[in-house]
Amino acid sequence: MTDEALLPAWSEPFAGERRDRLSHLPPFGRLDREWAWGGSDGTGVTVAIIDSGIERDHPDVGGRLVRSVVVELDEDGEPVVRDDVEARDVVGHGTACAGIIHGLAPGADLLSVRVLGPDNRGKGAVFAAGLSWAIEAGAGVVNLSLSSKSEAMFGAFHELADRAYFANTLLVSAANNYPGASYPSLFAAVVSVAAHDAADPAVYLYNPDPPVEFGAHGVDVEVAWRGGARMVATGNSFAAPHIAGYAALIRSKHPEASPFEVKAILAATADNARPRG
Amino acid sequence: MSDERPDPGELQRVLEAARAVALRTEAARRLELGAGEAVLRSVVDAAVSLFDAEAASIALYDSSVDRLVFLVAAGDQGQGVVGLSIGPDQGLVGYVFQTGQPLALSDVQRDPRFGRAFAEQTAYVPRSIVAVPLLDEQGTVGVLEVLDKRDSSAFTLRDIELASVFARQAAVAIRASRVERESVVLLEAVLRATLGDEAAPASIDALLADLTDDLSRDDPGALWTLVEQVARVRRADPAQLSLVTDLIAVLADHAERSRSGRRGRRAP
Repeated sequence: MTDEALLPAWSEPFAGERRDRLSHLPPFGRLDREWAWGGSDGTGVTVAIIDSGIERDHPDVGGRLVRSVVVELDEDGEPVVRDDVEARDVVGHGTACAGIIHGLAPGADLLSVRVLGPDNRGKGAVFAAGLSWAIEAGAGVVNLSLSSKSEAMFGAFHELADRAYFANTLLVSAANNYPGASYPSLFAAVVSVAAHDAADPAVYLYNPDPPVEFGAHGVDVEVAWRGGARMVATGNSFAAPHIAGYAALIRSKHPEASPFEVKAILAATADNARPRG
Repeated sequence: MSDERPDPGELQRVLEAARAVALRTEAARRLELGAGEAVLRSVVDAAVSLFDAEAASIALYDSSVDRLVFLVAAGDQGQGVVGLSIGPDQGLVGYVFQTGQPLALSDVQRDPRFGRAFAEQTAYVPRSIVAVPLLDEQGTVGVLEVLDKRDSSAFTLRDIELASVFARQAAVAIRASRVERESVVLLEAVLRATLGDEAAPASIDALLADLTDDLSRDDPGALWTLVEQVARVRRADPAQLSLVTDLIAVLADHAERSRSGRRGRRAP
């Protein structure tokens, strides 16, 4: 043990003087929402929204859209990422997610990754390429209010979920609205979210019985929509951005917290996990 | 494969096997013809009545035209949509199709651009909508949408879940009707593999056409008569089916008694 060189490489962070560098968060016993994000508005955090695009001028987006890209397949069927200068939302769904996140974390920068294009056949590959791009771009939080049912994409998404985790990118993924596998929402490295029916955006719940770990506001949510509009919508798609918004607040106040620590903080501050007494 | 000529005996066996597959395929086609659509129709009918909705419809993706085509609809307000189609990335239905995520919206009309042109084409513009994907192992094959619950202004999570149950039924029906088409593709692949690269594609097509033409010709044989009758029975509504079942039971009973009667006479 005295000779550090004999330690396996993966033990190095835990050896000798290097241990001093492993500073860590205080114990969870003292966690509350004030500690977690009190005074934070998400400043310094970039949230990528992989969806149908974000309408740049929608009032609910508050001018925080810093970049828009679109992923499409080239003539060889390979996904390519290019800037979307018009910053379009082809449906309204991505703008809805952006509006929820901006409402909770008004200081966070928003990044739009549009993965819906006319060529439906490539959607799994396009989605994966968009997620890969968002990780490379250094997003601190990625909102995924969509998933792929394709078994063929299992491996690709599993690898991306791992890559995000190690790149300090927190993936927040809407659980599918009914049973059956969907990716990447069922991977352990992501924060998976379903809707609760508490009709309160401030309420979120931790489920100690995964795969779906968090419940958030997703029923009759007033959301932004295409064309500067607003409407009332229901779906897990709108629960995930609530958790993404809170995660952005936490990451802004505690930039040292890693993805699993952010997840732990979310669990510790959930409405069903408040300190006893 | 290309440097070995197929053994004539083996070729004969393969052709016989291919003929057997083609026979089953044709039988499946005759059985399923219209049956898949009948199930889809019953799904939208049931959705309208369960949700007490103004309309419900199913759109399936047609890869040959890259469009989502509305095949069936139910409800007084729903019929205008049948036969229309939209791009797979258009509007809410396109979103649900592409992402595989169901969605419920209230107050659709508050977005002036929300598929209005399309909705007006159908002569019915909805207030609220729930749309769920039809999924099979390969991914999303279409979308079921239910419009405007009469007793409520919005659809709930429970409604999404219920609609998804209907969507699963529809997806099963679609899969069944696709088995027949896949069989033809399989048949072609087997013939191609057996005949090798020497066989020009045209001759394979001709061979395949020969095999299937022969089968679909009007055949007075008892097999096709039986298949057609079974197909008709399968398309019958539950009341008719129950009547037919009762009739068959009576006939079977009668046949059994007359047969044992004959046996009785033969065995002294």
